[in-house]
Amino acid sequence: MKLSELKAGERGQVTAVASEPVIRRRLMDLGLVRGTELEVLRFAPLGDPIEISCKGLLLTLRRNEAEGIAVDKLEVVESRQASWASLLRGHRFGKSA
Amino acid sequence: MSTQKNITVALAGNPNAGKSSLFNALTGAHQRVGNFPGVTIEKHEGYLDYKNYRITVVDLPGTYSLTPYSPEEIVTRRFIIDEKPDVVVNVVEGTNLERNLMLTVQLMEMEVDLLVALNMMDEVEEKGISIDLDQLEQLFGSHIVPISARNRKGLDDLLDHVISVSEGRIEIRKNKITFSPEVEKAIDKIAALLSHERELGAGANYRWLAIKLLENDREAYTEVQKYPVWVKIELALQEAIKECERLHSTDPEALITEDRHAFVHGAMQECVRKPKATRASVSDYIDAVVLNRVLGLPVFFLVVWAIFQLTFTLGKPLMLALEFVFDLLSKSVAPLLPEGMVRSIFVDGVISGVGSVVVFLPNIVLLFMGLSFLEASGYMARAAFVIDKVMHRFGLHGKSFIPMITGFGCSIPAIMATRTMKSRSDRLATIMTIPFMSCGAKLPVYVLLAGAFFPPAMAANVMFGIYLLGIVVGLWTARLLKSTVLKSDSEPFVMELPPYRWPTFSSVIFQARMKAVMYLKKAGTLILGAVILIWVASNFPRSQALDTELANGKARIEASSVAPELKAEQLQKLEARIEARQLEYSIAGRSGKLLEPLIRPLGFDWRIGISLVTGLAAKEVVVSTLGTIFSIGQTTDNTSLSAILRSDPAFSKATALSLMVFVLLYIPCVAAVGVMKKEVGAWKPVLFYSAYVLAVAWVASFITYRLALLWM
Repeated sequence: MKLSELKAGERGQVTAVASEPVIRRRLMDLGLVRGTELEVLRFAPLGDPIEISCKGLLLTLRRNEAEGIAVDKLEVVESRQASWASLLRGHRFGKSA
Repeated sequence: MSTQKNITVALAGNPNAGKSSLFNALTGAHQRVGNFPGVTIEKHEGYLDYKNYRITVVDLPGTYSLTPYSPEEIVTRRFIIDEKPDVVVNVVEGTNLERNLMLTVQLMEMEVDLLVALNMMDEVEEKGISIDLDQLEQLFGSHIVPISARNRKGLDDLLDHVISVSEGRIEIRKNKITFSPEVEKAIDKIAALLSHERELGAGANYRWLAIKLLENDREAYTEVQKYPVWVKIELALQEAIKECERLHSTDPEALITEDRHAFVHGAMQECVRKPKATRASVSDYIDAVVLNRVLGLPVFFLVVWAIFQLTFTLGKPLMLALEFVFDLLSKSVAPLLPEGMVRSIFVDGVISGVGSVVVFLPNIVLLFMGLSFLEASGYMARAAFVIDKVMHRFGLHGKSFIPMITGFGCSIPAIMATRTMKSRSDRLATIMTIPFMSCGAKLPVYVLLAGAFFPPAMAANVMFGIYLLGIVVGLWTARLLKSTVLKSDSEPFVMELPPYRWPTFSSVIFQARMKAVMYLKKAGTLILGAVILIWVASNFPRSQALDTELANGKARIEASSVAPELKAEQLQKLEARIEARQLEYSIAGRSGKLLEPLIRPLGFDWRIGISLVTGLAAKEVVVSTLGTIFSIGQTTDNTSLSAILRSDPAFSKATALSLMVFVLLYIPCVAAVGVMKKEVGAWKPVLFYSAYVLAVAWVASFITYRLALLWM
């Protein structure tokens, strides 16, 4: 499936990157190569672009840019996303460790 | 000192790695901003004296890679190859090593004298990350110096290393990373072919060139295609592509990048220990609010509103204060000079000319303090994320929004704020949209005309409509540009959201100061020249006949036997009348008349034509010129300008609407044009743009006038 088809909170592993050269190169430079695991964190308030996390980084890309990335969907283990639910569950503020 | 030795250092690194902080910490006030040859990318160069060395530091633009896809990357590469700096210092962010080291690997491939400055060590320690520096040095073959540019820690150590490397006392082993066997085979083959090409020169780095060719690098292609050996190389490349496809089902470019990632990932596994990050960080929590589906947009608009208020509401009293100072200066200098031409040149020409340049400074400084705060804190990238969808619909980028909104205050800082955009075509499109966002100086024109011809409630609607028209035409222009002349090279939205950081006060001030100096130096002279030119045009030539008429009239009034108060009033009226007729006689006046046939269809007579010409100096001047010129032959006392306009047969509701539309859309003031030229880097697009806006203004005013005549 395509990266653009993942929903917020879902994880995937990159199997191929096939966008136009400029975008493809930028994606690869930022770590989106075959085998990279990523998680879709959220969509912008208007539905586009997408925010993902991979290799400890937060990256953004537009939906049409995400269409060129093929992924295998992975089972959700633990989401990095800070949601109000997790906030209410009592995560301590200010500790990244 | 004559014994001083020179060392040139180039700083390379990812965006947000802290290159600029290091550059500022090293060079302090000894800086110069120029441009890299052929491109509009800023080149920051500075120097420092350290232990009998004069160390010149060049801050290269932030890049993720060394491909030829973006001008920043091309500039970085060319600088390293052509200028051959003695030492390349690769600034890497300690908290984000894996991605940063990707660039380090590519710098290694260039076989330069490389030194790695491991920045943000304070944060690394705070987060409990441990880095095995010895092991990392072994793997990369370069010395790694831990620093914290923000806290000015480790800088002397870094400089000592720079000196040692430049003098060959530290050996840079220039390790090579080993790619997949198929790639290595192809590299060897191509490098061998290249080495037989004598014209390529003995100094060339064959391995690097071979890697670049395999990466489909167009700069490398054009370099090598010139030589006969290309025929053989092309075959070798095709073979390599086939092999990669057969064995790895991908292309060499992707495979090489994957190999680099694998190398860096391996190094990370070996050398870096991070505490397990199980819980969301502060950044994650801030993002949960700031990028929230519901709250994201309100937060964004609140921030934009705050920046706007900071720049223009806080800037206004400062602007007025500056105006007051220059007014005071004129008044106190005037009596010192002989009456007549000389005084007029100095007071009305030079002093008010300089004043009209300086008056924008408060806005520029405040806006850039705000923007650099947003940029350094990490919110700027998020702002672009939130609003990108809207902007992208018009072919623009999320980063276009803030400059555009700033345009409602003043085009000048707004145009300067487009620097955050990397892609030239995105920047140009945004710059050319900004003047349509009706600026503060145009407001007095609308207030005068809408107020004079419409009842208050209606006047507000008219003004709202004018603003809306500007937005529509601006966005439409952007879309037109992006689908025609500026079609190429849109910035992809693939970017990083940096973690939130508190910006340091000094860096915020520093940015604002740089912008102010740049504005005064680069645009100021141009604007000053243009303002003086317009002043000359509205004062020359002078009619001798009118001068004598004024002198005679004055003498007559003085000699008459009326009360002194009445005398003063009569004198004032006489002077106003003569002034208006002098304006009519001047170049500006004549061009107004010359223009009349062109602007007649819009409902304008030559007097409005003059105002439009003088309005090029600054848009609010339209009002004062209308005031001067429409008072000709005015006999009634104490009439307001709006009353005068209402009673003038040349003016109607339709004329007023048409004029508002024209003032909204036609050529921006000379200050804005000057800054535009500075930011665009060439006159041609600016002149083309001026012709375009004139055409748009004419057509829009024509339609407005004709429709208004039909309906009103």
